[in-house]
Amino acid sequence: MIKLFSLKGQQKDGAANSKSGMGPKKASAAQLRITKDINELNLPKTCLTEFPDPDDLLTFKLIICPDEGFYKGGRFTFSFKVGQGYPHEPPKVKCDTMVYHPNIDLEGNVCLNILREDWKPVLTISSIVYGLQFLFLEPNPEDPLNKDAAEVLQNNRRLFEQNVAKAMRGGYVGTTYFERCLK
Amino acid sequence: MSIQSQISTESHPGEKTKKYDRQLRLWGDHGQSALEMAKVCLVNANATGTEIMKNLILPGVGSFTIIDDNKVGGEDVGNNFFLDKDSIGKSRAHAATEFLLELNEDVNGDFIEESVDNLLQNNPTFFNNFTVVIACGLTEKSLLDLANLLWDNDIPLLVCRSYGLIGYLRIVLKEHTVIESHPDSALDDLRLDSPFPGLSDYCKNLDLEAMSKKDHSHTPWLVILYKFIQDWKRSHNGELPKNYKEKNQLKELIREGIRKSENGVPEQEDNFDEAIRHVNTALTHTKVPSEVQQIFDDPCCRQLTSESKPFWILARAVQEFVANEGSGSLPLRGNIPDMTADSERYIQLQNVYRDQSNQDICTVTNYIQTLLQSLGRDEPLSVSSEHRSPSSSPGQPQDNISDSDIKLFCRNASFLRVIRTRSLSQEYAASCSKITDLASRLDNTDEDDELVHYIMLRVVDRFRTEFNRYPGAEPDSMEPDIAKLKGCLCKMLQEWGVNPICVKDDFVHEYCRYGASELHSVAAFMGGAAAQEVIKMIVCQFIPVNNTFIYNAMKQSSLSVEL
Amino acid sequence: MACDWPNRWSHLQKILERSGPYAHPDFEAGQEMLPFIKDNIKVLVIGAGGLGCELLKDLGLMGFMNIDVIDMDTIDLSNLNRQFLFRKQDVGKTKADVAAAFINKRIPGCKVTPHFAKIQDFGEEFYRGFHIVVCGLDSIIARRWINGMLVSLLRYNDDQTLDQSSVIPMVDGGTEGFKGNARVIFPGMTACIECTLELYPPQVNFPMCTIAHTPRLPEHCIEYVKVLLWPQEKPFGDDVGIDGDDPSHIKWIYQKSIARADDYSIPGVTYRLTQGVIKRIIPAVASTNAIIAAACATEVLKIASSCCQQLNNYVNFNDTEGIYTYTFEAEKKDNCSSCSQVPQQLRFSEDDKLQDVVEYLQESAAYQLRAPGIVTMVNGKNKTLYMSTVKSIEEATKDNLKKTLSELGLLNGQRIHVADSTTPNSLLFHLQLASSMEKE
Repeated sequence: MIKLFSLKGQQKDGAANSKSGMGPKKASAAQLRITKDINELNLPKTCLTEFPDPDDLLTFKLIICPDEGFYKGGRFTFSFKVGQGYPHEPPKVKCDTMVYHPNIDLEGNVCLNILREDWKPVLTISSIVYGLQFLFLEPNPEDPLNKDAAEVLQNNRRLFEQNVAKAMRGGYVGTTYFERCLK
Repeated sequence: MSIQSQISTESHPGEKTKKYDRQLRLWGDHGQSALEMAKVCLVNANATGTEIMKNLILPGVGSFTIIDDNKVGGEDVGNNFFLDKDSIGKSRAHAATEFLLELNEDVNGDFIEESVDNLLQNNPTFFNNFTVVIACGLTEKSLLDLANLLWDNDIPLLVCRSYGLIGYLRIVLKEHTVIESHPDSALDDLRLDSPFPGLSDYCKNLDLEAMSKKDHSHTPWLVILYKFIQDWKRSHNGELPKNYKEKNQLKELIREGIRKSENGVPEQEDNFDEAIRHVNTALTHTKVPSEVQQIFDDPCCRQLTSESKPFWILARAVQEFVANEGSGSLPLRGNIPDMTADSERYIQLQNVYRDQSNQDICTVTNYIQTLLQSLGRDEPLSVSSEHRSPSSSPGQPQDNISDSDIKLFCRNASFLRVIRTRSLSQEYAASCSKITDLASRLDNTDEDDELVHYIMLRVVDRFRTEFNRYPGAEPDSMEPDIAKLKGCLCKMLQEWGVNPICVKDDFVHEYCRYGASELHSVAAFMGGAAAQEVIKMIVCQFIPVNNTFIYNAMKQSSLSVEL
Repeated sequence: MACDWPNRWSHLQKILERSGPYAHPDFEAGQEMLPFIKDNIKVLVIGAGGLGCELLKDLGLMGFMNIDVIDMDTIDLSNLNRQFLFRKQDVGKTKADVAAAFINKRIPGCKVTPHFAKIQDFGEEFYRGFHIVVCGLDSIIARRWINGMLVSLLRYNDDQTLDQSSVIPMVDGGTEGFKGNARVIFPGMTACIECTLELYPPQVNFPMCTIAHTPRLPEHCIEYVKVLLWPQEKPFGDDVGIDGDDPSHIKWIYQKSIARADDYSIPGVTYRLTQGVIKRIIPAVASTNAIIAAACATEVLKIASSCCQQLNNYVNFNDTEGIYTYTFEAEKKDNCSSCSQVPQQLRFSEDDKLQDVVEYLQESAAYQLRAPGIVTMVNGKNKTLYMSTVKSIEEATKDNLKKTLSELGLLNGQRIHVADSTTPNSLLFHLQLASSMEKE
């Protein structure tokens, strides 16, 4: 059992009624954890991060330039927003680049298990980076977000490959226009 | 806990629905109407009493009546939130009723400034109108008198008390039936060990081999497991995997069923992983839970009369189903958990279970009809779709049984509970007291056994009877009372045939320190716990404690024990 | 006290003025105890909701006369089934103000000071002013924040031992339906919120592809409308997000969810369910809140008076089936990212450059860090001083290396966090800045 400190004689004369204009002096738990995550971010050579404000480690971009697979030569930007709930809650990740991909929809929503249902506090930003990178190497047509792309990949890999190339060069796939995203 | 199960389909919630939203998600609209019909009586508006009432009035109990002949004293206002300084010297029943009524305009309340002893003598039928009676701050004799009367009239009683850092709660009722017990974790009712025809047909029509890759990886695990179990049975003389080793073999077979890519690497198929994960639970033999079997074996179920409560008629009908069409199993619950699957086949599978469930309910309905006819209760089954729980007015044999009652009963058949407590006079009678047996476990001077507080509370009551005050209640009385209380304890333990060393002197000292004080936070804790038990009794959902609960605020620990 | 009347405190006095075998060894029974609690002890209650209302009542009736309460919410109709200090005519008013006014009126002499604010609006000076903090919160983020604040108030002696007079105990309660828990935290001494983060159940998030294409449950249909359809259709304008309290928003989502469910023949979408999913509503009843708040209030009394041993240190409660409690000792983690950080002293002069600090951390035998990432807070905002491992940050911060510590705005006593791959957690340093060349 802990030895209890004595409250007696301890006067508490804080400025108990004034809001502090100084703000906190110590970083939040989420902030500390993300600092650690970012400092130890061991990026594969196909990935790089951009911090628009280096003082704000909770908001950043990840750029993936796959060097093999369907998406070789492309350049895809994801925006990360890490909340104060981190790592109890996963970061919010969206794809800023419009991409023809079975697991990324045209609004930039990404279907990656560890971003939602399988997130655990032991996972890190690195885990997500590897997960995203894997999506470009092995798009998964079985659990699609972009159903059209998934169907093409399933039925006609050649056509899928052509569509990806077309989209990355900038142009229409079906009725959807894709901005050029070759690096 | 399936808290969303009884949610109504209203689209424009009224003010009441909004006000009670957070609790309607727990006990549903039908639970709420039962609560709003209930009439509760509180004996003595001490701190524990008003805290209980607060937690009944806020959720909207129908009405309450406070019986209390005490005048408010300075110490009452000190620990009771529902009195104020101006109440001092006035009727405690009156003052508390007024403050409590401010809590909820939907609730009616009145009071009677009279002692329970007087009421028992002059107006014994007074209590018959109440759904539940709550007793606080009574002497042992008055409590036993009240308890006897209520027992004879079949009115549920809850006794609650806060004594220093200890709380005590006792439920006294002849019979309480629960249909919706909302278990926190219940195994799904999937019948993979004894599949019904609809399930077999559905699974047989799906051919895993012939499926596209996508369909293969989105076949519900239920179907996968069904197929592998059937294969297993074919090669094992129709028997299921029996032990750990065989279950692992089955898991291995399922693992081999995962599709492989061109270069022989197994694909990621979540549904197969789920099937493997569910082997152990799904192979659990479907059987009637022992609590439910006891209900079937109960004389109330075996010998129905024209006075039988709907619960027992329903139970009997389900029992007949189990004995005949059910081949030993309860009516199918009819829902399945979420699983990796495409929408279409998941919904189909859900309908397969639902259809069988509805068919079982139909069969049970026929039994009900036959039973009612044979009991001479020939009123037609009400076919109104309006939802009403058969439990909403327990003990009313003239209730008819609606289709939705039957449905609710069948879907909850594995969770049925019946609670019957002993009466207080049985508990207190030397001839059938359980305390002697129970107290023997204290011989090992187990520090953590809260049973000692039951003994101590009985002892301080003995002290009260003998000296007309509680030990340590008066200023400067603590030290002299320690010896007297020790004397009471020894006498009492001797009468019970319990070894006196099993209660340490420290407890005697600590109880003299308490001096029957009612600490507000202990009263508030017990007020919450007791109110929740009363709500369980009223809405006939969740499972009340059987029958005594002891709270130890020193360690924030507790004990439930049947006395 | 002037407003007392005869026997007002007689129940409480028995416990406080008499000694007993189960009291804490430090307990000094006597007539000084009650006035001490009434006049000296300052308690902060965080949250004036289901737990908060109960806590204020419980503490006020247990002799705590100096209470501050913080709550950022206003009263909603759905609070009234348990937040018993509020009435229908109070809907829309601030919880903290209404709760404080009620208690101050009902319990003579009790001074509850309300703060309609976020906990983050206050700084160290404010929190240092309390002896005990009691939390009745429904947010993990807020719990973690106040936990971090109380840990940051800890002081350490020269020999790295904790200065116990800097410890502000925290009593934390939580409820969900018929379940609840209460715990006592002595920051720096016993398990803190971060030590036990895994005790909190994770948020339910359905897979995106399920929501988008293979819904099976009514919840999937509602999430579809919330996550995918709303941003597409922007039904209430371009920049209007979902407001769970706006009935027209819920109604729109409800109708679209019904349509979605009909497409897939999924039964069970209701208005109530829609609202529950959108607002992530946690069911709540008066009784559980009363129970958990009462357990917390008892612990506050024990801490303030030592009249009994404190809860050691966590109790779980559930009264769905019978009444169940389970008490256990949550373990303090040796490598807790929050409470295990004993700040180290870093002595530099104002004219030293950040480069000197980095080199010291790399070369000093005590640390031998590989690639330290260094952050701090300046004027309440995060500042990344230097991080070499991320190219874009390295470029943006490398100029800092050449700046002196005073040029960087660092002050004496500044807290500096250093992350490095050689340590499991960030290290916390207190910068001791000398104006002259005093560096050892």
